[in-house]
Amino acid sequence: MDNERKPKTDYDVLVIGSGIGGMESSIKLADMGHKVLLVEKEASVGGRMILLSKVFPTLDCASCISGPKMSSTINHPNITTKNYSEVLGIERDVGGLFHAKVKESSTFVDWAACTGCAKCETACTVAVPDQFNYDLVARRAAYLAFPQAVPKKAVIQRAGTSPCIDTCPAGIKAHGYVSLIRSGKYEEAFQLILDATPLVGTLGRACYAPCESECSRGDLEAAIPIRRLKRFVAYRHYEQVEGPGIERPASNGKSVAIVGSGPAGLTAAWQLARLGYQVRILEAEAQPGGFLRHALPTYRLPQEVVEQDIANVTALGVEIITSTSVHDLEALKAQGYDAVLLATGTPLATSLGVPGEESDGVLTGLDYLRKVSLGQAPDLTGKRVVIVGGGNVAMDTARTARRRGALEVKVAYRRGREEMPAHVAEVDDAEKEGVAFEFLVAPVAVVSTGSKVTGLRCQKMVLGQPDPSGRRRPEPVAGSEFVIGCNAVISAIGMAPDHAPYERLTRVVKGNRIVVDPTTLQTEVPYLFAAGDVTTGPSDITRAVGAGRRAAHAIDSFVQGRALGSFPALDDLLPVVDKKEVLARQTSYTEREPVVAGTTFSPAPCDFGELEPAMTETEARAGAGGCLDCGVCSECQECVKACPADAISFDKRDKTTELTVGAVVVSTGYKLFAADLKPEYGYGTYANVITGTQMDRLLAPTRPFNTILRPGDGKVPDRIAYVSCTGSRDKTSGNPLCSKVCCMYSVKQNQLIMGSLPLADVTMHYMDMRAAGKRYNEFYEQSKDMGATYIKGRVAKITEKDNGDLILRYEDIENGGQIVEAEYDLVVLAVGIQPNRDVEKLFTGEKLGLDEYFYVAEPDGDLDPGRTDIPGVFVAGTSAGAKDIVDTILHAGAAVAQVAAHLEHSKNNQLTETPTMTEALV
Amino acid sequence: MSQQTGTSTNEQTGTCAQRRIGVYLCHCGGNISGHVDVAKVAEALADEPDVVISQTKLFACSDGTQQEMVTDIQDNKLDGLVVASCSPKLHQVTFQGVSKRADLNPYSYTQVNVREQCSWAHTNDREGATQKAIGLIRAGVAKTRLSTPLEPLVVKTLPKTMVVGGGVAGMRAAVGLADIGLGVVIVERASQLGGWVGELGPMYPSERSGRERIDYLIGEVAKRPSITVLTDAELVSKSGSFGNYVTEVRVKGRDEMIRLVKAEVGTIVVATGFDTYQPEVGEFGYGIEGVVTLPEFTKLPDNSGGSAGASSSKGPLTYKGKPVRTIAYVYCVGNRQPEGGNEYCSKFCCAATVHASLKIARRDSTLRQYHLHRDIRTYGKFELMYSESRERGSVYLKFPDDTPPSVTKMADGRLAVTVVDTQTGNEELTLPADLVVLVTGMVPRKNQDLTSVLKLPVGADGFYNEIHPKLRPVETVVAGVMIAGACQSPKTLSESVASGLAAVTQSAGILLKGFAELDPLMATVDTAACTGCNDCLPSCPYDAITTMRSDGRDVVEISAAVCKGCGGCVPVCTENAIDLLGYTDAQMRASIDSLSKEPVS
Repeated sequence: MDNERKPKTDYDVLVIGSGIGGMESSIKLADMGHKVLLVEKEASVGGRMILLSKVFPTLDCASCISGPKMSSTINHPNITTKNYSEVLGIERDVGGLFHAKVKESSTFVDWAACTGCAKCETACTVAVPDQFNYDLVARRAAYLAFPQAVPKKAVIQRAGTSPCIDTCPAGIKAHGYVSLIRSGKYEEAFQLILDATPLVGTLGRACYAPCESECSRGDLEAAIPIRRLKRFVAYRHYEQVEGPGIERPASNGKSVAIVGSGPAGLTAAWQLARLGYQVRILEAEAQPGGFLRHALPTYRLPQEVVEQDIANVTALGVEIITSTSVHDLEALKAQGYDAVLLATGTPLATSLGVPGEESDGVLTGLDYLRKVSLGQAPDLTGKRVVIVGGGNVAMDTARTARRRGALEVKVAYRRGREEMPAHVAEVDDAEKEGVAFEFLVAPVAVVSTGSKVTGLRCQKMVLGQPDPSGRRRPEPVAGSEFVIGCNAVISAIGMAPDHAPYERLTRVVKGNRIVVDPTTLQTEVPYLFAAGDVTTGPSDITRAVGAGRRAAHAIDSFVQGRALGSFPALDDLLPVVDKKEVLARQTSYTEREPVVAGTTFSPAPCDFGELEPAMTETEARAGAGGCLDCGVCSECQECVKACPADAISFDKRDKTTELTVGAVVVSTGYKLFAADLKPEYGYGTYANVITGTQMDRLLAPTRPFNTILRPGDGKVPDRIAYVSCTGSRDKTSGNPLCSKVCCMYSVKQNQLIMGSLPLADVTMHYMDMRAAGKRYNEFYEQSKDMGATYIKGRVAKITEKDNGDLILRYEDIENGGQIVEAEYDLVVLAVGIQPNRDVEKLFTGEKLGLDEYFYVAEPDGDLDPGRTDIPGVFVAGTSAGAKDIVDTILHAGAAVAQVAAHLEHSKNNQLTETPTMTEALV
Repeated sequence: MSQQTGTSTNEQTGTCAQRRIGVYLCHCGGNISGHVDVAKVAEALADEPDVVISQTKLFACSDGTQQEMVTDIQDNKLDGLVVASCSPKLHQVTFQGVSKRADLNPYSYTQVNVREQCSWAHTNDREGATQKAIGLIRAGVAKTRLSTPLEPLVVKTLPKTMVVGGGVAGMRAAVGLADIGLGVVIVERASQLGGWVGELGPMYPSERSGRERIDYLIGEVAKRPSITVLTDAELVSKSGSFGNYVTEVRVKGRDEMIRLVKAEVGTIVVATGFDTYQPEVGEFGYGIEGVVTLPEFTKLPDNSGGSAGASSSKGPLTYKGKPVRTIAYVYCVGNRQPEGGNEYCSKFCCAATVHASLKIARRDSTLRQYHLHRDIRTYGKFELMYSESRERGSVYLKFPDDTPPSVTKMADGRLAVTVVDTQTGNEELTLPADLVVLVTGMVPRKNQDLTSVLKLPVGADGFYNEIHPKLRPVETVVAGVMIAGACQSPKTLSESVASGLAAVTQSAGILLKGFAELDPLMATVDTAACTGCNDCLPSCPYDAITTMRSDGRDVVEISAAVCKGCGGCVPVCTENAIDLLGYTDAQMRASIDSLSKEPVS
């Protein structure tokens, strides 16, 4: 055989969809010796048949006859199955071969290691509607498709990164801890945050919570109170546990020096210590914490909370040497550290730069706040104070000044309120505490009498063109100067790093910031890394925490001799979930009362006690309970911890492969009619109106409630009605076709219900009883003999009574045509089959022909069933039109014969030799 | 990790070497555990000698559980496996597969049926069912304990298929077989290929003429040298074994000479089609002029007519020269009859009738057409024809199941159809009609000779029965013999063709490999014990036993390839010289002894 002429294919046939048609096609082709690639979008093969209770007319258990077929499929030596995968596109080349792009979606579970033990499922904290029970019950985000799944492997369903996680500069898994709190797993929630940073209590108070701004629930009633939930778990933890609650790890023999004990330094120290590093923090102040202690007022962040958080770090053996300024980083390195991290923040306040600034009674906000924290602040009782600046430090200063007895506090800002860099809530809160604002003014000079400040001369401003930051540039109004009378002026107009320790070592940019690689935070001096405000200028705690984590990751790579690269926890997240999709997929969304803090503000505050009240457990559960699970998986990590095989990894990503095949079988099946498109039947509105497929689940051996009950109130129904032709033979719902299977599955269910609930009355409202098929009519007769009632005529309308019972209104055609209203406990809509229009996207470069109802067209369905209008492409089962199981099996058999003929033809474009036959004349 | 209950002791096994047997009891999702205390059974079995593992499983047949069993067998070095679940007909092969994957000889596997033969049979006696289950499984363990590894018989298969019946399903199957490289012999009883479809004009839904489609297929058959066509031919004998059947076909030559053609084939596809129901004279007025059956109607020369096609027929419809202004169709003639008739539904006739009436309506919009039916079963896309038919003015009246219409001839020579219309308050209507069409369905073809030659199973409705009506619709209990088309049950053209091609697929799965594996469960003779009495010879329905000389004595031998393992010869032997592999006397005795052991309290 000439090798050149042999087609170069990865597989002989690509079969798309592993329902009964796809499995039959694959097995039969494989039996003939063809190599088959079977692509299935769900985690298990089997399609819809495995979800049935029993099958008509034999009443075989669907699991019992479908299960072995599923097993044979994946165990067949000639079949390769790709589950949880999707065919993105298929292109036919001139030689008639097909090039398919197949995406294997990440299951986040190593299937080779997974044993199907379902421990992840038990541990998972997220519940979503169970599509395998047609949404009758919930399943977990970590799940096995169903008990008889083949292969029996777990999947973590991730729609993407939840917006709260995506937006967090610290990479804290907000969705995860909210989900854990919802499940009452408070310590687990604390540990999840601790995994990012030791500053749990701090962030629970002082974070500006960008997560809440992004929260999808914010588009409904109000965002989830994510920050306060963090405070809640921090409180619960510190109340019960001393220290972080984790063991100090064994030393790895390496050491790192960190200069500065603010949020970046503390977080980096924590992360490195957990990796076994000996870490020493050098802090210039007498107490650790940086701005957390010296700039944040205690009514926002109590000192003891900072101390609790810092104790997490020291508990792991981190040494914090206070009152030690570092001036020479090289000398520090020379002491034997493997790396040095600079996290000194922005300790220097920007001066006003106006005459009179040196007067008594003029100070900087930073200095003022620091002195307040040290108990050394000047007394402002009865004084009038002007604060210059519009940032958060200005707000903190103003509100602190109010608490220190200032009679009048006025914030002077050169732009308008909208342009203020301070957090909106801070500005509002300051206002509530009696802080006044003077907008569009800039200081010109401090006015003093002798050395005593008597006022601040200002100039009015107008907003001109936007500056590079996008904010409109303030421009002075000529001749508009005026004086604001005051006893003190506090400037809070900016902060900058102290560049003295590094200016000779490495590059420094504008504002004295140290230059680092933004991904690795490494400076040009290899051992020297820098994180936090010293690299960025003033930002916020969360960014500093994120930088601390990033630096620790990079330092570890550097010390261990690995290549420095991205930081997965921040850089390699899945794409953020589209909030619109999140809201669209909510099937059981109910409006919830937002959980609000209810902070009370005093117009004349006088104490430094924590302002915002703590959350009660009830509030925490209610607040967390509103989470919409945007990313589906919350990344709470419970499954990772629970998995005995260590098989779960969130780092896995989708994989797309390109393959060449000789033929394609489309067996993508059908979609069910969406019953809510018939509003007169109330599906989705009336709790006790269900679909036929849902009833099949209620009857199945692996059924959700272990009995037949109506979903509204769990009552076992006595009177059950079937409404046939829901979404079939109905031009008003766009489907004039008959779905073929609904009559028979209804009759089957009628019999099963009568077997299960012998006292129940079963009535079916039908149009024509389409019991056409081998033994089907006999089966229907048997059902009548068992006592089911069959009433001809389409049901016009269903209404619901207060007790959940349902009234069916119909014309009783066979008994004189009067209008009848009959009452039932449960109504089953016999929903029909619709084309699965996903097939339209399968082929690129040419179109797969469809019939006028969007089923795959068979140009000669009479003599060539299963053949489509693309040579080499075949169709099996309901992709080509409504079919029951046996018709699907036959159709798949036909498609396979056609595929085999096509492959034979491609292989050797000649008919085989005449077979011999022995003849004898008698 | 699997939980192990019980270890084996070797006290009672006597001469047997110690075995390591795993026992798995299936809940069958409640089918078994709903009526049998499975935990108690598992506990009792754990105490059986040689039982190393005794566990219960929600679904033993599920893939996850199969994998667990494979692991158990390997980890525990099991040399015997017992699964107590459903009928071996359902899952013997499944668990033999498990054994193979675990490198355990599949004949060391025993399936115990505690569903059909226990839980389902004793739904009102949980304690009794539990005791019975214990007994049955103990018997299975006893049989397994004495099992010996057996190897399957590998037989070469012939790459050729015989297709019996040259209608549309048979011809399409033949073309399909040839196109994947298999040889074909078509055996057609009539003098030419074609069957029913060849007599039809435009067919639904394609509107292509049946005659044209058949001519096309006959041309395709002729193009393929690997297809041999025997017309005026009947299959008269079949011998040999799976994959190697030797058949004889009686062929009447053009010279009226009868020849017997011998054909060796690997598989046989039976596509013998159907007959149409022929009403008795007087049945719905049949016999009166103007009362015709559906096949007669579709072949009316005045109508679409044979191969002429609807397009060539123009102008108002006439019957025997007289204009037809009103047609009444009476559906379900000969079908859906509770007693004395055919209970089954013929499936194709609603759509065929609607289609036929539609063709005329398209031609003559003034024609009145009444359809007297019980349900209109235009399933799937055929519904579109039904909709169009009503839009074009056909009137559909549903009559009660127990009050069929009657047809009489009126004084003016026209026909009168009297019907109770359920949809107008059960009013009795009398409709004058020029033509009454009795919608007759399909009936099984009378093929007694073929049925007995092939030993094909016939269902209550008279059609051939498949192995499983859901998942194995073309296979029969006779290995290598498939059924396709309307001989299995009434079908439309495309459904017949689809099943014909499905039979191609089934044949190809068997034949393309070139060999087949057969169960080695056949009878063997202990030559030393055989006295050569030959009493066993007539007991074999397959002629597998022959005589031979051994050490100067006359003894019998049994052909492994021909023996079906039915066991018929075993009790005949007075010397106990014959034993059945896989079901030895010793195994059976041990099983019976176990069954009669003390119940577990």
